[in-house]
Amino acid sequence: MKNEYIPYPAIIESVREEGPETETFRIVFEDEGMMEGFGYQPGQFVQVSLLGVGEAPISIASSPHHRGFIELTIRGMGKLTRAINRLESGDKIYIRGPYGNIFPFEGVKGRDMYFIAGGIGLAPLKSMIDLVLARREEFGRVVLLYGARTPSGLCFKEEIKVWRELEGMEVRLIADIPEGGWTGRTGVVTELWEEAEPWRGGVAYICGPPTMMKCVVEKLIRTGFNKEDIYLTLERQMKCGIGKCGHCSIGGKFVCIDGPVFSAAGANIEKWGR
Amino acid sequence: MREGCVVEVGFSEPVARYLCPVTVAAVADRGRQGWVHRSTIDDINMNNRILLKRNINELLARSAEAREVYLPLEGPGGDVQFLPLQEPKELDNLNLNYDQLIIPPKNIGFPQLESLFEFKDGEINPTVPVPSRHILFGLRACDLKGILFVDDFFRKNFEDIYYRHRTEGRLTVVVGCTSPSPNCFCTSTSTGPFIEDGFDLQLVDLGERYLVEVGSENGERFIGEFEELFLDASKDEIHHSGEVKVTAAKAVTLKVDFKEAIRRLTEDDVPREIYEEIAERCIYCGGCLYVCPTCTCFNLFDDMKEGEGARFRNWDGCVFEGYTREASGYNPRRDKCSRAARRYEHKLKYDYQETGISGCVGCGRCLTSCPVNIGISNFIEQLTGLDSKQ
Repeated sequence: MKNEYIPYPAIIESVREEGPETETFRIVFEDEGMMEGFGYQPGQFVQVSLLGVGEAPISIASSPHHRGFIELTIRGMGKLTRAINRLESGDKIYIRGPYGNIFPFEGVKGRDMYFIAGGIGLAPLKSMIDLVLARREEFGRVVLLYGARTPSGLCFKEEIKVWRELEGMEVRLIADIPEGGWTGRTGVVTELWEEAEPWRGGVAYICGPPTMMKCVVEKLIRTGFNKEDIYLTLERQMKCGIGKCGHCSIGGKFVCIDGPVFSAAGANIEKWGR
Repeated sequence: MREGCVVEVGFSEPVARYLCPVTVAAVADRGRQGWVHRSTIDDINMNNRILLKRNINELLARSAEAREVYLPLEGPGGDVQFLPLQEPKELDNLNLNYDQLIIPPKNIGFPQLESLFEFKDGEINPTVPVPSRHILFGLRACDLKGILFVDDFFRKNFEDIYYRHRTEGRLTVVVGCTSPSPNCFCTSTSTGPFIEDGFDLQLVDLGERYLVEVGSENGERFIGEFEELFLDASKDEIHHSGEVKVTAAKAVTLKVDFKEAIRRLTEDDVPREIYEEIAERCIYCGGCLYVCPTCTCFNLFDDMKEGEGARFRNWDGCVFEGYTREASGYNPRRDKCSRAARRYEHKLKYDYQETGISGCVGCGRCLTSCPVNIGISNFIEQLTGLDSKQ
């Protein structure tokens, strides 16, 4: 029987700065066979450890069609993530997983894809965006609406530059507090709605702070989306990642094994807090 | 039970099945739920044996030669704890008539604190316990129900190897409860004072002797090992055991309408004021979680000194404010009311919806341990005493 609590050593191959206290780490397992066998899908997360500091769940930001590494985008929020952000390429880190369910992919082919993110919340969606773009012809419109509190809080600036040049990929950015010569739009992500027209229905993938997700879901429903076509990925305090420790419970479900991806039909938004 | 006809017994619904010819010996009222006591058996049943009380110490001492034997030992202050037998002399403190263990025996499979792995200079060494043959002797029915519930929880989805190894090789010996504590309500939750299945052996106190019911092949093998200490049970003794069970059930005086409570929780028919009132009184000490036979929440943390350390897990609980607080400071269950509600909803609603079995075994420890007199039985009494919206 596998001991799910044991993390495996991995090496940070490169570090890329995304913004204040936010970095993307490219990580390769020390064991080559382990790296080759590491299969995951967009939406999943890994448990990341620094021995002696602790462990936390982090979404995988890279797409599975890129083999040989995984990328994790981490913002220094707590004791562990701040310690990780001090690491450099060549440093050791410990990983177990992948865990959690996945964003629907096969079943949504041919449809318009809306990605709506706030701040660091773009990280889990980026995995899905990369995979969709790798198979661009199999989907309809691909729209990204992305907001952050400040312009520096917008991650993946390099990817966004590339995405904006891609035919058939629409990127709209917004920042709540304009700083540092921001010439883009000011406000919250739902204010990008008119820019993203025409809303012909489609599938929406959302990740961001709880209030933002709630507003976006409500707006999507008002725009005519079916609840079944709205997917959220939720964050919770997690300890085990395997449905045992109880911390990430919502009702009778665990975000770590029943999620982190929930459809707005399955996630009782009023009960997020319970 | 061996081959034979299937008999279902119960008032409003079947509560037990017996794979042998039976006569219904006694019926006890179990409140509104309908309940029929375990029947006695017409034919001579090879599975029922007799163990003389004077042979108990010998049985335990000899069992302890090849196994670890956990049993209820009374401490100098009168508290009874479920501890492994270290030396035969400790059998003088054996107390099989205890009303309740303060800490339920869930800690044998799920210790309050355990190391998951050790690390030194970046190398990880798992600290998975080695499975060992052990006996839990003198369990109460409600506590075994709790253990069986926790077994299922740790086995499903990703099986927990630590729990698995700590519980593999386990033999359970229930001593049916004839001295319930005033806060017990096991007849309302159908979890006691005797257990119907899931045990290896169950002892029924007949005075100078115990009737021994065999619930599994594992139990049968154990008896076979100490054959000379067991006698065959007579028809009278079997009959007598049925009477003992009925008397024991009657001794559980606290009754609540458990089924109605579950109905109201699963149908979201609980006035929020109930939770608000509990939230106001609760001091969030977490005592109820630690003493609950089915609470399994835990925290993980690292402890390190000079490059050497370990990752541990320890019991945690949903009533604590930090339990759901994220690194960002956002806390989905920050308010006291949703934390208070969580515990009741988990036990009486979500567990039931997810597994078909409630996480409450009616032991009443939450009430016993509570400094401000909150407990599941009080909650149920309050809830079912109010008008339903249905």
